[in-house]
Amino acid sequence: MREIGIDRLDDLARGAGILGTGGGGDPYVGKLLAREAIRRHGPVTVYDIDEVPADATVVAVSGMGAPTVLLEKLPAGTEELTALRALEAVLGRPATHIVPIEIGGVNSMIPIAAAAQAGLPLVDGDAMGRAFPEAQMVLPTLMGVPNTPMAVADDKGNTLVVDTVSNQWAERITRAACVQMGCQVSCADTVLRGDQLRDGLVPATLTLAENLGKAVRRARAANADPVRAALDVLGGVKLFTGKVVDVERRTTGGFARGNARLEGTGTLELSFQNEHLLARRDGEIVATTPDLICVLDTDSGEPVTTEAMRYGLRVTVIAAPCDPRWASPAGLELAGPRYFGYDCDYLPLRGRYAQVT
Amino acid sequence: MSPGVERRQVGMVRAGVDVGPTNTDAALLDDAGRVLATVKVASVPDDPVACVRAALGALPPHESAQVAVGLRGAATAVTRRRGLRRVAVLRISGESGRAVRPLSGWPEDLRAAVSAGTATVAGGGGLDREDWTPLDRDAVARFAASAAGAAEAVAVTGLFSPLDGRQEREAAEIIRAEAGDLPISLSAELGSIGLLERENATVLDAALSGFAGAVAEGLAETLSGLCPGAAVFVTRGDGTLMSLEHLARHPGLSLGSGPASVLRGAGVLAGLHDAVVADVGAARVRVGVLAGGFPEEAVRGAGIGGVPVGLRIPGLIRVPRPIDPAELAEAVDRLQPGPARLPLVVVGGGAHAVPGGLHPAHGLCAGAIGAAVSPVGGQYERIVRLPSAAAREAVAEEARAAAVRAGADPRDVALVEVAETPLDYLPGSFVRLRARAAGRPSHL
Repeated sequence: MREIGIDRLDDLARGAGILGTGGGGDPYVGKLLAREAIRRHGPVTVYDIDEVPADATVVAVSGMGAPTVLLEKLPAGTEELTALRALEAVLGRPATHIVPIEIGGVNSMIPIAAAAQAGLPLVDGDAMGRAFPEAQMVLPTLMGVPNTPMAVADDKGNTLVVDTVSNQWAERITRAACVQMGCQVSCADTVLRGDQLRDGLVPATLTLAENLGKAVRRARAANADPVRAALDVLGGVKLFTGKVVDVERRTTGGFARGNARLEGTGTLELSFQNEHLLARRDGEIVATTPDLICVLDTDSGEPVTTEAMRYGLRVTVIAAPCDPRWASPAGLELAGPRYFGYDCDYLPLRGRYAQVT
Repeated sequence: MSPGVERRQVGMVRAGVDVGPTNTDAALLDDAGRVLATVKVASVPDDPVACVRAALGALPPHESAQVAVGLRGAATAVTRRRGLRRVAVLRISGESGRAVRPLSGWPEDLRAAVSAGTATVAGGGGLDREDWTPLDRDAVARFAASAAGAAEAVAVTGLFSPLDGRQEREAAEIIRAEAGDLPISLSAELGSIGLLERENATVLDAALSGFAGAVAEGLAETLSGLCPGAAVFVTRGDGTLMSLEHLARHPGLSLGSGPASVLRGAGVLAGLHDAVVADVGAARVRVGVLAGGFPEEAVRGAGIGGVPVGLRIPGLIRVPRPIDPAELAEAVDRLQPGPARLPLVVVGGGAHAVPGGLHPAHGLCAGAIGAAVSPVGGQYERIVRLPSAAAREAVAEEARAAAVRAGADPRDVALVEVAETPLDYLPGSFVRLRARAAGRPSHL
């Protein structure tokens, strides 16, 4: 057990930005939310997965919608609790712990704010180990644990609780509702018992995010290479260093899709949809989802989001291994390259690089 | 031949002035952009108006139709916490945003120096028309009553006001009726999505309004004596100009204007629209990129005194002096946007210390020359669903209107760029449209 106070949020947010693999939203606003909540309600207690009692009721709290809209339509600070209470009413029992649904981006910070407001402890882990765009892309789906009942709340006080036949249906219905509710809502869902956390969560990812952010900050302060520092924490590989020479975006079907071309020694092509999903170096695939593909500003080590990709940026692309459960056939069906419409198989980092374990 | 004689031969003469911390440069250009004269005088510390007077006075006799001045005082006033007005801060957002109160990301001492109280009242909008709620006029009146006496300026920020600024203007009317003639800054005029950064910029604009008003007034008075009849402009961080009146309302826009003018001036002197520019000063070299005649922007928006304000400023790499040639070469290389290398233009007082690259004549005064040749600019952004030609044209029109408000000639304003970025994590083609426009300075 330990505590998250205001002084640890900067490192955590920086690391969570990197783990967002280009998506998940800039954690800056989330950091302000968490800071304000901790300032009002005090530090948040954090437990390791092993410290949570077997009969605990662990609830994932997150934001859904467009991070760009979140920058304008800031939360009232009551949405998370409204969603949580709506979920508890349907469950018939109170939540005992809160957990992040994803460690990447702004959803690493929203559960901290929620935990402070609710006076509940937080679990050190998350259901993705990175950022993914859709609600069913969580380890509990692989366990057959439903992500519903899912409660959604907006800033006006509207709530919606859905109970669906599959985790995919929960995504479909709540995403459509999210647009009607102003493109940015809070969610409480994916209820896990304490004894399900080992299977349902990637452990210790809050700690990972903080260590990652700290390593980048310290490297920068020491005039050392912040990208190297990030790689050491992640156990990843450097794929490419270069400049963005072309970015192409289009909206087809649901989400926006894009490609970015980088030039340096050779070329690297990145394909993204909310997150960076595929990297081709000189025409050859070198990394794919669900492994983490992170684009960092070469100078500062700060993460570059897919929305911020533009001509002229000088970036280093790194890759890090996903949680091994994502590499299973069921995991790849949920979040492998083919799910996102790319005609290629998963190319695991593990086994190709000595430093990736 | 004196420049005054030449003016009668070639038509309109323009003067540019760049007030730096050590020196103030001035340049005189003809209508075709040819440099007629340049001068360099020692700056008068903390007195930009005196600097401008001295530099223009040192130029040969001239009758400029236009004077453009680069100032660096706004950021200094904030970082030194000096000459700042106390601001009453009004946010129109209803429940939304209560989780992050106004000024909550600010350094404690800056907040203490600036804040005369904050209030959040009901109202504000959303992406859809139905998302708008009425302004709580009574709450605005109560806010204004508490501001009267305590505050020297007011900043008003409405949720989604870049989409529709009417509630901010309505609030301003109530405040004027209640609290009298306080300067009021409205966030909608800044035109960018992102409530916190827009609010921060609006509050700083209000805090700096006294300082900026005094500078604008001093400049107007000095220049009406020195260059009677000349239209007067000041530089801003995106590489364009704005009128003195616009400076008085939005002093924050001048942040980053020094390097922006240098980049533009270096391009003009070298006859290039696209170049990497090294500005060699006494203490350091600043390397930036000119793209299509405009300074390339920094990836992240600017901050002033520890407060993020999201304003557009040039992206620069700084290399200390004495210059390590390898370090400078690396900076230049990192800024090269692609494999087709852009030429390097070297300007500034220490340009001789960098042997390579193009060394255009008058490079010593690139900032003053850049000020003289810059257009007047404006920008606007909005989130739209299913972007149509009509939506694109509406955003372009707002950007053109912003340029005209800043002092551009309405007959000459052209679009510089309309950028479209699809929003992540939303189905249904939501797109952020951002337009920039620029035009010839208006000479009314």
